[in-house]
Amino acid sequence: MKIPAYQTPELRRKNVRLAWVLAGLALFFLVTSFPFWTGLFRIVGTQAMQ
Amino acid sequence: MSTTTMTHDEAHHHEAPKGWRRWLFSTNHKDIGTLYLLFALTMLFLGGASAMLIRLELFQPGIQLLDPDLYNNLVTNHALIMIFGAVMPAAAGLANWMIPMMIGAPDMALPRMNNLSFWVLPAAATMLILSFVVPFFPGGGTQINTGWTLYPPLSVQVGMSMDFLIFAIHLLGISSVLASINIIVTLLNMRAPGMTLLKMPMFCWTWLVTAFLLILVVPVLAGGVTMLLFDRHFGTSFFDAAGGGDPVLFQHLFWFFGHPEVYILLLPSIGVLSHVIPAFSRKPLFGYNSMVGAMLAVATIGMVVWAHHQYTVGMSLGAVTYFMIGTILISIPVGLMIFNFIATMWRGSMTFETPMLFAVGIVLMFTFGGLSGVMLAVVPADMQYHDSMFVVAHFHYVLMPGAVFGLFAGVFYWLPKWTGHMYDEKLGKIFFWINVISFNITFFPQHFLGLAGMPRRIVDYNVMFTEFNVISSVGAMIFGLSHLLFLYIVIKTIRGGKKAESRAWEGAKGLEWELDSPPAFHTWTVAPQIK
Repeated sequence: MKIPAYQTPELRRKNVRLAWVLAGLALFFLVTSFPFWTGLFRIVGTQAMQ
Repeated sequence: MSTTTMTHDEAHHHEAPKGWRRWLFSTNHKDIGTLYLLFALTMLFLGGASAMLIRLELFQPGIQLLDPDLYNNLVTNHALIMIFGAVMPAAAGLANWMIPMMIGAPDMALPRMNNLSFWVLPAAATMLILSFVVPFFPGGGTQINTGWTLYPPLSVQVGMSMDFLIFAIHLLGISSVLASINIIVTLLNMRAPGMTLLKMPMFCWTWLVTAFLLILVVPVLAGGVTMLLFDRHFGTSFFDAAGGGDPVLFQHLFWFFGHPEVYILLLPSIGVLSHVIPAFSRKPLFGYNSMVGAMLAVATIGMVVWAHHQYTVGMSLGAVTYFMIGTILISIPVGLMIFNFIATMWRGSMTFETPMLFAVGIVLMFTFGGLSGVMLAVVPADMQYHDSMFVVAHFHYVLMPGAVFGLFAGVFYWLPKWTGHMYDEKLGKIFFWINVISFNITFFPQHFLGLAGMPRRIVDYNVMFTEFNVISSVGAMIFGLSHLLFLYIVIKTIRGGKKAESRAWEGAKGLEWELDSPPAFHTWTVAPQIK
């Protein structure tokens, strides 16, 4: 795959790495929007009470 | 993955490709910016047409043209088209065009992803339009009569058009998140040497904050509508109380996205103003650092006050008190921004070309919209105003001046740079005055309608509301048609006109004004040094 001259391989790696980090952040917010954590809190709470 | 580096000539000195391939396969930030802007303009007319139909129906009491479900389907589509189809892509178009030129970068950091971000949009728009059209066909099911908020249980009961809409929202979200990732990477990694974050042009700062907001909140909407889809088709009960779910959960998820969305629409226009006002006041922006701080404060507080849209749903006193105080607190950083704009104009050598007219209009009218927002933030008052036409008036005063007029200011400000021609200033000013006056005729009376008790999202109304509705509808027709003049001005400028200089405006500052008008296909092949 060709990469343009204005992006050295190091800069391109840096760009792609940051893009993946941001995509991970978006994915985290997507996953946590599903309310599974309410059940998790309940389980943790129940365990703590015992 | 193996990579090879293109030679300098290959990468930068070739001419623009010809024909449809130039646009379909484009990785050039200017071409993709143009595509975004053309797409937004198309959707503006589509969304505008639906708004004019709504106002035609409300011209008189009784049912004139639209049955109640079709009316609410138009309300739903108008909102979604304007927000996701017109304002956000227009802001992304400005970002694509201007950010690389402003920070001295040759292009966006991830050019192929940039292409994908745009080309997902027409597919999303098709799905969105299909969601409107499908109910007209045999077996198409009921219309989407939920409004853009898509609250269950109604949204679970709507016909298959809702599935088209959910898919459209997913595609729009993917496009927004990809574009945001690209913008953040470009701004953090591609700035010219010497351009520290606190030397970055304010438009870039506003987009940095906007892009982070998008990445944080759009996935939550995607999660919400995915659960809606599951409730509709796969037997889950996320929002069904009978199955142990909670319909209010959807409201929380929706507004966790929906309230920051206001700032997503608003901040790029604040960025435009931060360039237009100094340029036409011939003074540097007052309080650059405080503007950055105010923006960060708006974004941070804006993320945690979403439930002021849900006061009437029955939250605890502690919760509504928290959301009320948090919401009112936002007026402090927003007020600081407005103060900085006024302080920039103070004793400036001001001239009032079209972008500046829009900027001054924004400062006045957006402040007014913000004040009615403070009224709505107060819990006992909101109990009266909730779901009334007052809310419609409020958010149009926030979003039209705050977002759309800001984009108009940006287009008029940078059109000479993009096209190489000055636009017709006289026509520009005529457009401004018709647009602003008709906007106020349309929406100002709606405050009174709401205070007098006229609910929104209802096709019919009591005869006591007739006079203000007639005024509002007449204003809306003029307002809608005035955008044809905007289209004419843009086409006329593209086709010719007085040649624009590199620095099209005497007071304009920034790297983008050091480039030719129009700029070459590839710019900043050698990064500028910032002192």
